[in-house]
Amino acid sequence: MFNPFKNIFVSNLKYNQCNNFHTNSLHLAWTKATAPKSFIQNNKKIYPPQQIDEPTRPAFVCHQKTNIKYSPDKLWYVACLIRGMTVDEALKQLSFVNKKGALFVKEAVLEAQEMAIKDHNVEFKSNLWVAESFSGKGMVFKGIRRHARGRLGEVRYKYSHYFVRLEEGKPPTDYYKRKPLLPSNQLQDWLEQMRRRKITNSY
Amino acid sequence: MFPRFIQVVQHLKNLERSILLSLFGHPPKELALAVSVNQQPKPTPKPFSIHDLIGDGFLLAVPKFRRTVEKRLNRKFGWPEYVWKPFVPKTNLKTCHECGHHHEQGRLCGNCYKNIGKETKEIQGEILKKLGNGPIEQDVIVLYEGETLPDQQKEFWNGKRIVEMKKERPQWFSKNLLQKSTQQPSKSTDVKPTDLA
Repeated sequence: MFNPFKNIFVSNLKYNQCNNFHTNSLHLAWTKATAPKSFIQNNKKIYPPQQIDEPTRPAFVCHQKTNIKYSPDKLWYVACLIRGMTVDEALKQLSFVNKKGALFVKEAVLEAQEMAIKDHNVEFKSNLWVAESFSGKGMVFKGIRRHARGRLGEVRYKYSHYFVRLEEGKPPTDYYKRKPLLPSNQLQDWLEQMRRRKITNSY
Repeated sequence: MFPRFIQVVQHLKNLERSILLSLFGHPPKELALAVSVNQQPKPTPKPFSIHDLIGDGFLLAVPKFRRTVEKRLNRKFGWPEYVWKPFVPKTNLKTCHECGHHHEQGRLCGNCYKNIGKETKEIQGEILKKLGNGPIEQDVIVLYEGETLPDQQKEFWNGKRIVEMKKERPQWFSKNLLQKSTQQPSKSTDVKPTDLA
């Protein structure tokens, strides 16, 4: 069930920073933070200086949107759509996805783009591509509903987290390795299909 | 027919046995077989359990078998030829020439439509202020800043109300909305063309 008193503690727990550690209740010391933090820590990692012959490590930015009131399974489909696309293409496609989750993903990508320019030393905001994009399970509040014959059922109010990593540079040519056929090969394929047909009961 | 015949024969046999039993009693024990034939096992009394009473009632809607990975993948992805569940990027998105926003091919640009809607609301506001909410009996001509009335004969102005907007005409709002774009412009010089955009 939704706990109204949870909100009192959330602001303290956000990044596991307790400002008034000695004066608040003991409950805060042992509770888990509601927001995930390991993905965001990737932003803080400092790499050693590169050798001269090493290829340049592209700049990246990790961003997350937590506790979106949406199902993580449904959000997964939207997250899968934009993997491997340039940022502009991803935003364009998301504008025309008829799902609630698409709005959150679009906001997250726009925020990440801004962060990349401001904090992560990216020169051009269009020179980014979506390296990682996935959803995770957030809070789940449980409720009751009634069924026929006096039976009770559980209702799950699901929340999701969304994670995105933008990398600088050109995206890979075929992220999902779909290997679509060239038009000439497609034509050959179609011709073979047509030639394989047979009139029933004939030779 | 055949089963009925067998039944009749069985009845006759039973009848014969019962008659002989009543007349002569059981046959002598010396003729009895040493080995017991077709002996039914004695039914042991089953201990009472709640399972007999309720059965599987509480566990009716429960999975009987584990879902195979093929079934799970089919549910997650669907089938390419029939219903493909993951989203496919759209290839029919065009860029609007006027404002630069994207729109689906064959649909109006959302951004342009929003601007037109805003402008319409403003015009409607001006008309409301000047002419009120009464029934629409006269045509309304909307003039923007810096525009002059089209020079027409006096009869043209009978029954026309003029509403002035306190702003410049937007670029996309042509003065000449009634000329057909498909019609070729006429080369005759008899009639002066009225205020073309």
